[in-house]
Amino acid sequence: MDVLKGKSVLKKHSIVEGKALVVKDLIAFWAGIDWESGDIVEVAHSGRGQNVTGKILVFPAGKGGAGETFGYYYLYRNSKAPLALLCNTVQATTVAGAVICGTPMIYGFEKNILEVIKTGDHIRVNSQKGEIEIFKEYSM
Amino acid sequence: MYLNKHQQQMLDGKHGRGSQKAMEILHAMGEAREAKKMVEISYAHLMPPDVMFFPFGRQGKWGQELMRDLIQDIDHLSVPATIEPKFVDLNIAKQLEFSEDEIQEMNQIMESAVSFYEKLGVIPTYSALPFFVYPGKLNQHISIAESISILWYNTMFGSRCERDDGVISLSAAITGCVPEVGMHITQNRHAKVIVKIKDELEVNNFADSDFDALSLAISRRTKEKIPVISNFPLSVGKSYTKLKHLLATIAVESGLPLLHMVGITPEAPTLEIALGSHHKVEEILIGEQEIREAYDIACTARENHIDYVLLGCPHVTMQEFMEIIKIIDGKKVHPNVKFIISTTKLFRDTASDMGYLDILKKAGVIITDSMCIAFAGTRVKGTIATNSIKGAFFYSGFDQTKASPVWFGSTKECTHAAIEGKWIGGGKYGCS
Repeated sequence: MDVLKGKSVLKKHSIVEGKALVVKDLIAFWAGIDWESGDIVEVAHSGRGQNVTGKILVFPAGKGGAGETFGYYYLYRNSKAPLALLCNTVQATTVAGAVICGTPMIYGFEKNILEVIKTGDHIRVNSQKGEIEIFKEYSM
Repeated sequence: MYLNKHQQQMLDGKHGRGSQKAMEILHAMGEAREAKKMVEISYAHLMPPDVMFFPFGRQGKWGQELMRDLIQDIDHLSVPATIEPKFVDLNIAKQLEFSEDEIQEMNQIMESAVSFYEKLGVIPTYSALPFFVYPGKLNQHISIAESISILWYNTMFGSRCERDDGVISLSAAITGCVPEVGMHITQNRHAKVIVKIKDELEVNNFADSDFDALSLAISRRTKEKIPVISNFPLSVGKSYTKLKHLLATIAVESGLPLLHMVGITPEAPTLEIALGSHHKVEEILIGEQEIREAYDIACTARENHIDYVLLGCPHVTMQEFMEIIKIIDGKKVHPNVKFIISTTKLFRDTASDMGYLDILKKAGVIITDSMCIAFAGTRVKGTIATNSIKGAFFYSGFDQTKASPVWFGSTKECTHAAIEGKWIGGGKYGCS
């Protein structure tokens, strides 16, 4: 098990755990993800066809129009949001989505999380400590 | 995070529930980003979801609910504010395939939101290009919710704004402050990657859509790192239209708030200054192959047949009007095509004074203003031609069962397509 520390968006006590979905490209929650299904739909996106719902979503950073926050909020209101957001780089509209919807989000880790975490790994996200525990798929 | 007395009073609810909610959100944003304090802003550009973001059906109600706490007892804003386009001009909503029920619902949700913001004293720009109404100043802190404008204010004026969304920008306008993070801090504004344009690209002869393609090519390589373009010809900085095409695309495709252009933008008089403390940064080369690849990504259509030509993401400029007029004067839009041009009120009035609107109407072009053609155009069934990769991004995104195939090319190519009823192409790097 690896433990990584980053900066937590939600400071309150919250621990969630689930399966990681690692996406190498930037993610746009407005138009890049279908808020009806939770599928990544962006053309020429490496994660196209994957579903983010209920996942620990691991991605470099958010992108898209400034409506990205509303895209995330609509996804959340439709019960299709990820369980937690883990990013390398902080992007304001993604943070706003996490703040408004109360989704655990940690960013700015000491290592590149896209290399450390693999899709299918089991992740425990501790918001208060700003810490994630990574249980490799094969060890579960 | 430090709050001054007035900010603390707002957080404690001493100025009402709306400003308390606004300060709670900004405070949470500041804590999330480890801000030391708030910074005072002098201007905000608003993006209310109940005005702009599909204001009907479930998401229409969600948008209203999201804003309800914030606006419940607000009767003024702390700073001057402008506002984003409306979702759709209800007069043409039917032509964009919205049902009567949806139009009625939008009329209720959108118009009540619009009248609320106008009563607050918001300048009714209904524009994604508010800098034509409210230009920025160097080092001025502001809050902008519109991706191209965030980029424009930071890049072209050297003003300071984060990528704020609709909730944050309204909270900022209510309280008059934002957390001091990201682009508000000098050292975060330096470039982290150098972009070099290969000599084989004749940027001076670029069609407008070539700037979109260049911008997509840059975005896909620099990702979340602020780039500096080291060898752009200075002519790029002299054309609002070229800049619009360049900045609109990178804003959506990279999620960046800022881009430097050496000799063009105020914080990049030299490459060294743009890079600040960053040394030995990666250098990315963009040439013909990268531009062609960007066109291939943006063009998702396979058949030449065209149903819609949608121009105006962001709004059609005077230069674009002129290009369209040159081609369409005396001709007619093909009977199977709906050609819709979306601009701002300002440009529409100017185009009218110049006699352009008469020519366009005679040709069968539908002209509208103050609406978001990128969002409102996502409903149509059939193949869309557009001169905007930002538009193409929205038309081919969202719900895949409703996504439209897109031809992406220059304003000229789109105008020819509208007349012929099919995509001909002809651009140097583009799709055909």
